Amino acid sequence: MTSTTASSRSSRVGATTLLTIVVLALAWFVGFASRLFAIVRFESIIHEFDPWFNYRATHHMVQHGFYKFLNWFDERAWYPLGRIVGGTVYPGLMVTSGLIHWILDSLNFHVHIREVCVFLAPTFSGLTAIATYLLTKELWSPGAGLFAACFIAITPGYTSRSVAGSYDNEGIAIFALQFTYYLWVKSLKTGSIMWASLCALSYFYMVSAWGGYVFIINLIPLHALALIIMGRYSSRLFVSYTSFYCLATILSMQVPFVGFQPVRTSEHMPAFGVFGLLQIVALMHYARNRITRQQFMTLFVGGLTILGGLAVVVYFALVWGGYVAPFSGRFYSLWDTGYAKIHIPIIASVSEHQPTTWVSFFFDLHITAAVFPVGLWYCIKKVNDERVFIILYAVSAVYFAGVMVRLMLTLTPAVCVLAGIGFSYTFEKYLKDDETRDRASSTGSNKDEKLYDKAAKNVKSRSLQSSADGEDTTVSSNVRTIIAIILVIFLLMFVVHATYVTSNAYSHPSVVLQSSTSNGDRIIMDDFREAYHWLRENTADDARIMSWWDYGYQIAGMANRTTLVDNNTWNNSHIALVGKAMSSNESAAYEIMTELDVDYILVIFGGVIGYSGDDINKFLWMVRIAQGEHPKDIREENYFTASGEYSTGAGASETMLNCLMYKMSYYRFGETRVGYNQAGGFDRTRGYVIGKKDITLEYIEEAYTTENWLVRIYKRKELPNKPTVKETTIPIKGKKVSQGKNKKGVIRPAATATKA
Amino acid sequence: MRLLAAVLVVLIAVVASQQTLDEKVQNLVDLTARQSIVKFNLDKWKNLVRMQPRNYSMIVMFTALSPGVNCPICKPAYEEFMIVANSHRYTSAESERRKLFFGIVDYEDAPQIFQQMNLNTAPILYHFGPKLSGKKKPEQMDFQRQGFDADAIGRFVADQSEVHVRVIRPPNYTAPVVIALFVSLLLGMLYMKRNSLDFLLNRTMWGFVCLAITFIFMSGQMWNHIRGPPFMINNPQTKEPSFIHGSTQFQLIAETYIVAVLYALVAVGFICVNEAADQTKEKKAAAGKKTNSLLALINVPANTLAIVGLVLICVFFSFLLSVFRSKYRGYPYSFLFA
Repeated sequence: MTSTTASSRSSRVGATTLLTIVVLALAWFVGFASRLFAIVRFESIIHEFDPWFNYRATHHMVQHGFYKFLNWFDERAWYPLGRIVGGTVYPGLMVTSGLIHWILDSLNFHVHIREVCVFLAPTFSGLTAIATYLLTKELWSPGAGLFAACFIAITPGYTSRSVAGSYDNEGIAIFALQFTYYLWVKSLKTGSIMWASLCALSYFYMVSAWGGYVFIINLIPLHALALIIMGRYSSRLFVSYTSFYCLATILSMQVPFVGFQPVRTSEHMPAFGVFGLLQIVALMHYARNRITRQQFMTLFVGGLTILGGLAVVVYFALVWGGYVAPFSGRFYSLWDTGYAKIHIPIIASVSEHQPTTWVSFFFDLHITAAVFPVGLWYCIKKVNDERVFIILYAVSAVYFAGVMVRLMLTLTPAVCVLAGIGFSYTFEKYLKDDETRDRASSTGSNKDEKLYDKAAKNVKSRSLQSSADGEDTTVSSNVRTIIAIILVIFLLMFVVHATYVTSNAYSHPSVVLQSSTSNGDRIIMDDFREAYHWLRENTADDARIMSWWDYGYQIAGMANRTTLVDNNTWNNSHIALVGKAMSSNESAAYEIMTELDVDYILVIFGGVIGYSGDDINKFLWMVRIAQGEHPKDIREENYFTASGEYSTGAGASETMLNCLMYKMSYYRFGETRVGYNQAGGFDRTRGYVIGKKDITLEYIEEAYTTENWLVRIYKRKELPNKPTVKETTIPIKGKKVSQGKNKKGVIRPAATATKA
Repeated sequence: MRLLAAVLVVLIAVVASQQTLDEKVQNLVDLTARQSIVKFNLDKWKNLVRMQPRNYSMIVMFTALSPGVNCPICKPAYEEFMIVANSHRYTSAESERRKLFFGIVDYEDAPQIFQQMNLNTAPILYHFGPKLSGKKKPEQMDFQRQGFDADAIGRFVADQSEVHVRVIRPPNYTAPVVIALFVSLLLGMLYMKRNSLDFLLNRTMWGFVCLAITFIFMSGQMWNHIRGPPFMINNPQTKEPSFIHGSTQFQLIAETYIVAVLYALVAVGFICVNEAADQTKEKKAAAGKKTNSLLALINVPANTLAIVGLVLICVFFSFLLSVFRSKYRGYPYSFLFA
């Protein structure tokens, strides 16, 4: 009899394992497939802005090798400053795709590095699902793990950053995040140095991949601290945390971009503080059994206060002495929500850094947003060492997600884990019980006399319940079935919602625009690539192109030309200079552009097709950033209408109408007509006729405008040489002469016109 | 002889005016010695502000501080203005203090000045430059765009008069005091209850705290805190109040409360369903023994509890979906309600 039960158990285990593997494989597949909308609709291209830089860097690395990449000085960005790329990127992403490319190559399976880059994020979503399964399994049960894996595979909050073509750090970082958490929980449970070392290794990967690693290095110490405060200190915690901290710190310092930050910035200090605290607590535990209570209290109270005070004093002394950097502005802006708006406009200007509305929570999480508090509730109710971790994770992540849209990404895994726990808790109750009940009743009747009473009661209650006469101790099987079915319906709704959101909201490459006609046909507007291709083919190889920083990475990646500023916004004054050029009048802008050796200027203009993300709509930020650095020359109020509105229409101010951005956007726009009965120069994005239609350009000339006018490229004119040099005050004189010439040229046709 | 007399008169006049300029400055310095702003009545106003010669700038706030006038922002604007004036008085150099003075005109004290200036709104901040004479309109600070906090006023002053006032805000002690009070209250309560600190180990309490935090942040209260939207909007045409804003980029405070409650009710529904299933086990395990669960105390039949939970989930989740649909145009899916 025992042998039969053993074999049936082993077959059960086999079936469970098979089922687990099948479910995870399906989750991987579904996660991969649902991220391919953009590829199917458009083609295999890199999306948006930052991915273009990552792609360019990866391409460079694959071509020139890893060490060349680490030492890469990019002279095509931030002209004339250049950028040290190797020391200012998280190389994990490039190394990962480079490694995949190398493996495929050595298997004689040749693919272009672009394909690897495009499909990297969807592939990693499957790995994320597996890591989530492992984490949830450690926290709760394998069943909950499977739920969580399926949730994370398709949840829109994660898909938003990992569709095919979205080749960005987050795509692989979420996997590293979840895997690090899994290994941490595992090492805490086992107290083994091996798991802690693996955790540190995984943390190293995370550090090399994404700046969000700071979240981990603060969350794990927070967990350790919470455990100590709750009186849950154990030698397992000591072993795992100390070995993790030491290894992780040393490993993370190997990433060039991170360098000495783990020992020199305030963001990393809490981890060190907890490390010290843990030593004290360990000492206390060691001493408690060896000294008297009186001595212990003296040691405990005296020692702890002195050490604590000393630590605080030393910390402030180090900050004051400049050995440890104080908390960075980005960090402050997470706590003091008004901070960024006042002190760092360039951070505040990025749409990802805005606070999150409830709509985006619901949009990204749907039913899991409503269910994850349930999982949280049961984790608290049945708390143990590792569940403290997920509680802290969820509560801190939900705060951060509320402050910044971008940090929804860190909340999503916690939500998936907890929603998985919530659903599996319910389903375990409502699906499994039939079978166990049968077994229980059968074993109950076979048990000896002692248990007979209790078992009989159970049997009675069940029979009563099945006869449905209102017995109040159990849920009737009909209700069970209904509840199970309805919950499955909710899950189906989540799947449908996730697919809808992925397809409609998160699968736009933003390099290629899509719109639909009135009868539902899709129109694809490829203006960006058209313009970049024009630049690539028709300009000199070393031409310098000025644009607002949003387009820097794309110009470098697609047109392969030198840019002045790009999305790596490390030099605010350089950006402000470009902003100043865009917002001053033509002659002042010409001076700046000459100083910066600009050859071409590129603006994005959406007025013809009604594209709202164009430069005119971003213009106020240019003015603001320019004003921050050049308050004497640029004043924001000059760009408003008399009634204080931002407008390029009839009431626009003189400064607005004469600034370079306005002129470049609307040059010859007055001649266009959208419909028969509409006035010329009707701006579809802003919905009015522009303020000034007869725009003349003196110092620049139109070089190229794309099909839908989306991208307009201008060339800086070389002014004619001055015939003779007489005085030493050349620049001022020269400018005056040229202005006069040009003015004459303008006046003359006007005079002839009046004659005629 | 006549010519001489005329020259003499002119000379005397010049000397007299020179004296009056010095006198005026001295007068102003005296006035601002004890308090940092000058309160104008009609005489002083004519004399010190509107009449040339002047070599100093006047920053004048026109306001209505008496409680009879309904002006809710006058008071905070006045306080910010005072901060700048005080900073000027205490931190600026002696020479700079002679170049720039702060003044205030209260509607109650001198309504004639308001009439003279043709003003019917308050508060307004004007800068009367040293060259400004006669009936010319002075430079006005735009509160709408720049705001009226002390830093903005300081910037306006620096722009206009080239006197840089280092704005020093007297530290606001209310927040630390409130926090200290709260903490001491908490510690006191802990000390009072030191014999039974069990409630700290009460998981239900911690559960409620954590769930409250998640509902607060998931319903976008942080957004409300940062952006400060109105509680609700009245439709200008129909005068009907609307609690839900029809765009995904904006939200009203009322709708976030609604959403938080909906989330909470769905979660409660789920917990009910689970508790219903748990009841069986608990009864089995602890026949007759008191359980910790809240729901067990009410002693609802498990079936009813499960059905109540299910109804809660279905109804309120579909309600949540329809609220979402009303904001996110074109979202195709709904459940139970449209």
